[in-house]
Parts: sequence; C-alpha cells; structure tokens
Amino acid sequence: MYTLVKQESFKLTKKVSTWISTGFLVGVEILFAFLSRIYPQTFVPANMFESLYFARPIIIFYMIAAAATIITMEFQYGTMKQVLYRRYSRGQILVSKWLAIFLYTLYWYVISTGVALLLKAMLFHHTLSIHQGAGDGMSIFTRGLAISAASFVSLWLLLSVVFLLANLFRNSAAAVSVGIIGYFAAYIVTQLLTILIQKWDWAKWNPVTMTLYPSMLARPGYYQPLLNMQGWQMLLGNLIYIALFLGIGYYVFNRRNV
Amino acid sequence: MSSILSVQNLNKSFGNKHVLHDVSFDLKKGHIVGLIGPNGAGKSTLMKTMLGLFNYDSGSVKIAGETVTPQKHESLSKVGALIEYPGIYPFLTGWDHLQLFADGDHQLIHIQKIISQLNMDSYIKRKAKGYSLGMKQKLGIALALVNFPDLVILDEPMNGLDPQATKDLRDLIISESQKGTTFLISSHILSELQRLAQDLLIIDEGSIVQQTTMHELLASQGKQTIMLMTSDDKKARELLKKAKFQTTPDPRVEVVAKDDETMPEVLRLLIEGGVDVLDVTRLEGNLESSLLEVLKQSRIKKRLAEEQAE
Repeated sequence: MYTLVKQESFKLTKKVSTWISTGFLVGVEILFAFLSRIYPQTFVPANMFESLYFARPIIIFYMIAAAATIITMEFQYGTMKQVLYRRYSRGQILVSKWLAIFLYTLYWYVISTGVALLLKAMLFHHTLSIHQGAGDGMSIFTRGLAISAASFVSLWLLLSVVFLLANLFRNSAAAVSVGIIGYFAAYIVTQLLTILIQKWDWAKWNPVTMTLYPSMLARPGYYQPLLNMQGWQMLLGNLIYIALFLGIGYYVFNRRNV
Repeated sequence: MSSILSVQNLNKSFGNKHVLHDVSFDLKKGHIVGLIGPNGAGKSTLMKTMLGLFNYDSGSVKIAGETVTPQKHESLSKVGALIEYPGIYPFLTGWDHLQLFADGDHQLIHIQKIISQLNMDSYIKRKAKGYSLGMKQKLGIALALVNFPDLVILDEPMNGLDPQATKDLRDLIISESQKGTTFLISSHILSELQRLAQDLLIIDEGSIVQQTTMHELLASQGKQTIMLMTSDDKKARELLKKAKFQTTPDPRVEVVAKDDETMPEVLRLLIEGGVDVLDVTRLEGNLESSLLEVLKQSRIKKRLAEEQAE
C-alpha cells in the first residue's frame, strides 16, 4: 500500500497544476491579508484569519477537481489497464487513490494554515492576537482550527460522492459538476431544509444537511436550533455517509470491466 | 517443460453475447507464442481476461499455478503487458514512467538496461506528451519489460515502430526468451510474427481452432512456392497455365509446388518452351496463407457441424 500511495503522490507532484495552484492559493491568502490590513472595517482581521484568508473555498474546489481526475485521468490517458494489471488488487489500487487524496487534502490545509499564521505574524503582529476570545469559550485560533477540521470532514463527504461519480461515469466533468453543485446545494436549500426538518425530524439525516457542519461550528447558536442537530451528530452523519459512498464506489470499481 | 500460463475452459460473455467459448491452452516457459486470428475473434478479450481486467463466467486462468481474477491476482507480479495501445501520462517523462512502474530490487539498473536495449536514451528524459506514436509504443514495451517478468503479453507490439525499432524489439524478445521469459504476442503483422513465434494459438469466433508450432502449421499447409526470374515472364506464364501448373496472382512468376517433382517439371517445361530461367527461389510457406487456410477449414467444419445438429 505504501508503494501505491507513493506512486499516486509521485503523479500529483509531477503535475505542473499542483504547483501553480499552490502558488495561486498562497497569492489569494496574501491578497486578502493585505485587504484586511488596508480595509479592516470590510475585511475584519479576526474573521479573515478564521477563514484562513479565503483559502477554504479554494481548497474545496481544488480537491473536488483532484479527486475526480485521480480516477478519470487513468481512463482518459488509457493508463487504467497498466495500473490494474499488476500484483495489487483493485481494492488496494482504489484505497491508495483515496489515501493519496487524503494526504493531498492535508497538504492544502497545512499550507493554508501555515501561510495564514505567517501573514498574521507579519501584518497583524500588534493588532490581532490569535488567543483573543471568539465566543463559545474558544480563541480565534482554536475556532479557526475547529472550522478547518469540520470543513475537512464535510469536504470528504463531497469527495466521497465525487469519487463514486468519477468511478461510475469515467468522466471528470460530471463528477466535478456534481461536487461543486453539492458544495453550494446546502446553502441554496437551507431554507427548504429547515422547513422539512421542523416538520419531520428524521429529514435532518440527509447528506445535504451534513455539508453544513462547518457552518454550524462557525455559528452554532444559529444553526443548532434550525437543523435540530448537535455537532457530534453532524460529525457522525458525515462519517457514515463518507463510508457509504466510498463503499459503493469500492464495490463498483471491483466489479467493472476495464 | 512446465507451463507459466494455463487457461482452462474459459468462458466469457458480454450480456447475451458469448465471446470466449471453452478456451483452453498452456504456455510453456521460454517460448514465444503468437496469438493470431481475425478482427473480433476474441484476442483482446482473452488477453484482458488473463490479466484480470475482465471477470469471466467459468473456467480458470492460472499464472505459475496461481489463479487470476479481477479481484485477486498477486501472480501478475510475474507478468508484463502492453494491451491495445500504450497508456501514457503526458505530464511525465519516459524516465518517470519507468520509475513509476519499476518494482523490486535494482530498479535503476533495470530501467537503464531496458532504455539501452530499446535505444530510448535520446528522448527518455523528455515529457511524454511530445512523443511520436513509435516513441510511445517503445515506452509501452519498455514498461511491460522493465521488471524483467517471466511472462510478457504484447498486443500489436510492432505498431508504429520503424524498421530499426522493429529489429531492436525482435532481438530483445529473442534474447529474453532464451533466458527463459515466455512471450505471448498478438499481431496482425504476420510476416514479423513468422520470424519470431515458435508456437501458435489460432483463435476464431471466441474459440481456439488450433494450437500448434509454427513449423507444423507451415508444413501442414504445404504452401511451398517456387519463384522464377525468366527471360520472358509473359511466355513463361502462358506455358505454365497451359501445362495446368498452379500459379499465384503475384506479378512475378510464382508456381505452387505440390510435391518435390514440381520444380524439375517446371524447369524442363520452360527450357523446352524456349524460355531461359535466370533465377529460381523456393519460398517458404507463409503464415498469412496458412492462417487463412486454417480459418477457412475451421469455418467449414463448424458450419457442417451446425447443419448436422439441425
């Protein structure tokens, strides 16, 4: 498995897009950090730091694309056969791709958090303390980390669907589109969701609700009564749906002719 | 001699379409085996099934005694393959590809060795997106051979190769087979296969219609041809036709030899007819005509069997 994950990571590191997108993400963080310094009323420094200077939505789009293409590129370039007719089982091949994407997600969160801390130290050394209170007994830093962790989990819920669709359709466009729609879906249908949840409590367990996990951690007082859910319930729901979608993808991948 | 690959009673369907019918054969270690048959005969399906890319309905595929299925195929560590066309990542160099798929000990030595054997040094460090068809094909072959496997399965390996590359590949296949590597090669370039393969598997409509050696096939079809260069080809052809000798449609003067007496009879006829014979060559039987004959006979037999069954 170590060899397979190493091989998948090797492919990622050899893509020019990996390095260009890293540069772009760092550039966006620097831009928003400067905007926050110049216009602190509009771009509130504490909020901007918590949001990792707008890095999270970018990471989500990057990861949706990466998860889709790590499978579909093998079909597009005709390399899937070569990847499969080796001693490794199909299950191992697929799991190695999941693990590579997991490590890649970690890479983005570590980079963006590191850059955010660096920018805070350079531009807001005297004006912003990461230890200052942010409500709910959390500091700005710990709250930022908690939101990042929740966003990581709900991102993986989206990625599990993207993996499944990439596997089913061998087409990154379909998988990426559904991933991006999935990202916005929860915000678009929040009102409808809350009506449904108020009427039928069990409706809260649908996967779209689970993608609101980071929003709930950011504004627990607003979302908890609205969705009728606790943080741990959302975490559990996310994990169950991730396991379910990855499991279906695993079954499909094992059965298909290549 | 033990077998490296054993396929027994293999059946494979796509929906209602039965594409492999009770396919059985064994490959002996160190042999070069040609898998030949018309388009749509089931060659690619058979190779893909052997490599664990397709599920199968019944039967077994064993490599070095271990069963191969899409779910479990550890024995494929002993196999290298190139199926249909080489899969190439455009953002990687040729070297990166070899590094990615090289396995086990002495990887760098293996990579360097295969690059030299296939004369790929001049472009191996360039991104593969700029490779020509022949370069990609060579890289695909290098990927199949980089781990120096016991069994190599190649589908149309000569596609896009120039004469020098074809010769390099032929020499490499022969030298590796002499060291004990088994090759299963599917190709429509039958003249090339005729120079390489010792054994043959002839497949048609999903069934193995003949498993034989190259020598046996050519001898059994009796396709000995005598090629003549004469002072007057037109007159020579007329004399041969009149004497009821079987000629070929070739623009050169060619006579099909039915037995050892044909050559002296032809020479006598032409000389007595006033045609000077400048040169005579006895052509070996050729795989193309032999294959077509085997396929024809097999289809006739099949049709007769079907008619009798009705």
